[in-house]
Amino acid sequence: MCRKLPNRMLGVRGGGVNMRYLILGASAAGINCAKTIRELDSHGEITMVSEDKYIYSRCMLHHIIGEMRTIEEMSFAEDKFLENYKVNWIRDTRVEKLKSHDKKVILDNGESIGYDKLLIATGASSFIPPVKNLREGKGVYGLRNIEDALRIREDAKKVSSIVVLGAGLVGIDGIVGLLEQDANLFLVEMFHRILPMQLDEVSALRYESLFEREGVTIYTGVRAEEVILSKDNRVTGIKLGNGKVIDCGMIVVATGVRPNVDFIEDNTIRVNKGIVINSRSETNISDVYAAGDVTGESPIWPLAVKQGITAAYNMVGIKKELEDSFSLRNSMNFLGLVTVSLGLIEAPDESYSISVETYGDNYKKIIHRDGIIYGAIIQGDISYCGVLTYLIKNKINISNIDKDIFDIDYSDFFSIKENGEYEYVV
Amino acid sequence: MNRIKVNRDLCMACLNCVLGCMIEHNEKGKGIYDLDLEDISNEGRNHIGLDKNKCPTPIICRHCEEPECMYTCMSGAMTKDRDTGMVAYDEKKCSSCFMCVMACPYGVLKADAVDRKVVLKCNMCNGREIPRCVENCPTGCLELGEEE
Ligand SMILES: Cc1cc2nc3c(=O)[nH]c(=O)nc-3n(C[C@H](O)[C@H](O)[C@H](O)COP(=O)(O)OP(=O)(O)OC[C@H]3O[C@@H](n4cnc5c(N)ncnc54)[C@H](O)[C@@H]3O)c2cc1C
Repeated sequence: MCRKLPNRMLGVRGGGVNMRYLILGASAAGINCAKTIRELDSHGEITMVSEDKYIYSRCMLHHIIGEMRTIEEMSFAEDKFLENYKVNWIRDTRVEKLKSHDKKVILDNGESIGYDKLLIATGASSFIPPVKNLREGKGVYGLRNIEDALRIREDAKKVSSIVVLGAGLVGIDGIVGLLEQDANLFLVEMFHRILPMQLDEVSALRYESLFEREGVTIYTGVRAEEVILSKDNRVTGIKLGNGKVIDCGMIVVATGVRPNVDFIEDNTIRVNKGIVINSRSETNISDVYAAGDVTGESPIWPLAVKQGITAAYNMVGIKKELEDSFSLRNSMNFLGLVTVSLGLIEAPDESYSISVETYGDNYKKIIHRDGIIYGAIIQGDISYCGVLTYLIKNKINISNIDKDIFDIDYSDFFSIKENGEYEYVV
Repeated sequence: MNRIKVNRDLCMACLNCVLGCMIEHNEKGKGIYDLDLEDISNEGRNHIGLDKNKCPTPIICRHCEEPECMYTCMSGAMTKDRDTGMVAYDEKKCSSCFMCVMACPYGVLKADAVDRKVVLKCNMCNGREIPRCVENCPTGCLELGEEE
């Protein structure tokens, strides 16, 4: 249950005027911040501005490409979110400038909005690498916004071959969606295996063969060198570093993201890889907070949510620190094969031990040293593996647990809190 | 809110709670004779773990105050009802990414064994007065308790 505080302590500016909260971005971080502010402050005015026209989960864009979900079914917010939480949403609107000295933002329609507390949760955009002709070509798409997915879906019906550049989680999501369309698919990855950040050789190869069985042609260990364009700049092919040319009418680029910070004026908010925040989601400028992919830390959904919630507490004046920013964790479910990847995927040197278990379609690997687990890949049956996540992120020593490492579960740390919840004793 | 309380010392690993859960969520009927134990689509949403001393431990959703499964859910399938305290799972919204399975620190969650499409998650027997696991527990290890 949310902590109930007397309203007079919250959200009230001098003279009894309600606090004005402004949130830029309507996604994981922004929506969760808005929701949490409302749970803590029933009177404050909450305004949310976004370029997004819809509230939707970017992680499900493959469902749009593959025509498995409608736009309405892409929402991750509860029904009637805006009404229930009394959030004023200005959608389809870009923020052009943040005037942090005047505590206001300027929108692309010329209007400006003032704030008492601001959250920047503008996320990130697809990064299109400087490959010759890639940025100029028509038929080149990133995969970040629902508009990208809709365009990819429409174009996919018109072309016979599509190349996806980059075999990380976003690129593979693109392939999964596109498999529902008819075009021939090519996947190009610079590293020598797909999903190189998440998987080791064994677990990646299993996905490679599943995708190949679906008709996807995979090129690993090779770069894109040049895009071949028609006279009117339409993509007609792509040349790879090994000299191979793939004829294609569309290229989906999934080679990483860059934080959306172009509305921030120089010498105001500190930007490094992204907006720099502390564990309270505060920036260097007072009353300005940031959360999610815009921080340029680890672009994963749960971190954006938690930073957004943390920001909300601090914005209403309750000190809260985010302790859990462990982000080396990914789960994936492609073509019916599920994998969870945690922490290190390879042992850095021989001082680490590697325990492996394989049976049926299961492959499980745990990397550990002196009783501390540093990484794991669990492929196939991932039941109850959240315990491993906890052990890895908290570096729990398991050396006194005389059990097969794959059998360690929560019963080894069992304890009940006064309110009946579980907690760990170690 | 109501929470299923666990007194581990009373657990004797009889698995009646697991059976109760399987029965309650069996689509073919809610009686013990409707349950076909050879049908792997009948699964419990709770389980018994054995610690290093072989001491049995009921592992049952706590409907946490700060639910990791919900924070990590990118489809909106996991929600916490602030009035009842229940963390509910909507399988129609679920996108089967299984980040929740990865996130639950107590290892309560798993994917269904047949299709690996949905998450097996306690729903407090959908408003049933006494959850079936509690009703079936012969030792008093599980009890329905009131919090706050
Ligand atoms: C295809 C795909 C699959 C993914 N799969 C996973 C996954 O399985 N697991 C996982 O953990 N993560 C996944 N991610 C990453 C995850 O989606 C992001 O970490 C998450 O969306 C970050 O949320 P956010 O709120 O920080 O920003 P974003 O989701 O990027 O949202 C930014 C918001 O700000 C708005 N905005 C941006 N600039 C402006 C501006 N100038 N003015 C006004 N509004 C603006 C946007 O319209 C949007 O509403 C995936 C991402 C993609 C693209």
